[in-house]
Amino acid sequence: MALAILALTGLLVSLYMLAYSFGLVGQLICGVGNCEAVQSSPYSRMGPIPVAALGVVGYLALMAFSLAGLQPGSKGSRLIPLALLGGGIIGVAFSAYLTYLEAFVIRAWCQWCVISAILMVLALLAAIPEAKRIGESK
Amino acid sequence: MSERQAGGSLRGFYMVFGAVALIGIGALGYNLVSKAMGTPATTLVNLEEVRDDMRLLRDMAVPVVKGDPEAPVMVVVFGDYLCNHCGEFSLRERPRLEEEYISTGKARLIFYDFVLDPTPEAGAFLAARAARCAGDQGRFWEYHDRLYRSQITWAMESDKLGSFEEYGEDVGLDGREFKACLNSDRYAQEVSANWEMARALGLGGTPAVLVGAEGGMSRSLPNYYFETIKRAIEEILSEAAAN
Repeated sequence: MALAILALTGLLVSLYMLAYSFGLVGQLICGVGNCEAVQSSPYSRMGPIPVAALGVVGYLALMAFSLAGLQPGSKGSRLIPLALLGGGIIGVAFSAYLTYLEAFVIRAWCQWCVISAILMVLALLAAIPEAKRIGESK
Repeated sequence: MSERQAGGSLRGFYMVFGAVALIGIGALGYNLVSKAMGTPATTLVNLEEVRDDMRLLRDMAVPVVKGDPEAPVMVVVFGDYLCNHCGEFSLRERPRLEEEYISTGKARLIFYDFVLDPTPEAGAFLAARAARCAGDQGRFWEYHDRLYRSQITWAMESDKLGSFEEYGEDVGLDGREFKACLNSDRYAQEVSANWEMARALGLGGTPAVLVGAEGGMSRSLPNYYFETIKRAIEEILSEAAAN
């Protein structure tokens, strides 16, 4: 359950960043760090795709699988625990890479990116017992 | 856990989940609506905090680049939309530069805004933002040239925003998206950072043209004429060939 709420929060953060990258929101709310420097750096995109769009897809998938795992019929499923753990590990690895870029390449911090990275680590931690619970046979 | 307990805890979960979703969507919606109803940023953002940090300034200053990223020579131009020599450079000299060096992959053009008069009344800051908004739709250079072609007209207009929107239509922009960008503070930070960087580099006027080898030092040219730029590029190319 915690995982679904963490994924939803991450999804909202990613949607905010994505809206910014499309110019749909004004100046980013950024109490700590320099969000604009990070968001206007070349690392905020992977080719034509904003990094925030990858966040939206990742968190949406995590949220969908965690909600599916709450349904009574999901007990014993092999796909859902695998998707939750796999998604969580990929998400944490990608967040670690983005955090490395902020710390050592761009040398500026974006509070929303840091929040997203923390959410992703918490989501992976929450995914472990969740996956175990769903994976248990009926 | 009994079925009743499970049902109760699921109900509680869905209530928390719904509340988080509602608050989040509400906050996001508020941001979107206030932006849509927003007013355009027409002057510099205060970047005093980063003024002395050249490294951070370089990261924040965002140029518009044309040409092969692997090109051996960089031609860096600092321009202002109210400067008539910048118009001459863009409309008369740049096409020759593009034909001979940019499209052939020998050099790439790196454009930074350097708004000489950043007051809202002058409109140059808004023009710089407008060009970048056009860039969101892949029409930066078309819009950039359009601004220079009508430089005298919009400079005299009181409704500069209206003129800029009209130019957007002329170059085939999606009007709604362009207006939304224009009527916001989008790119205010980038244009301001470019301005700060130009000042930090000690540039006195526009167009300022610097030419250098990729990864090396650039030198400032005495003027913006194609022949001068060509000589500087050829020198670098022949030095590279000799090495």
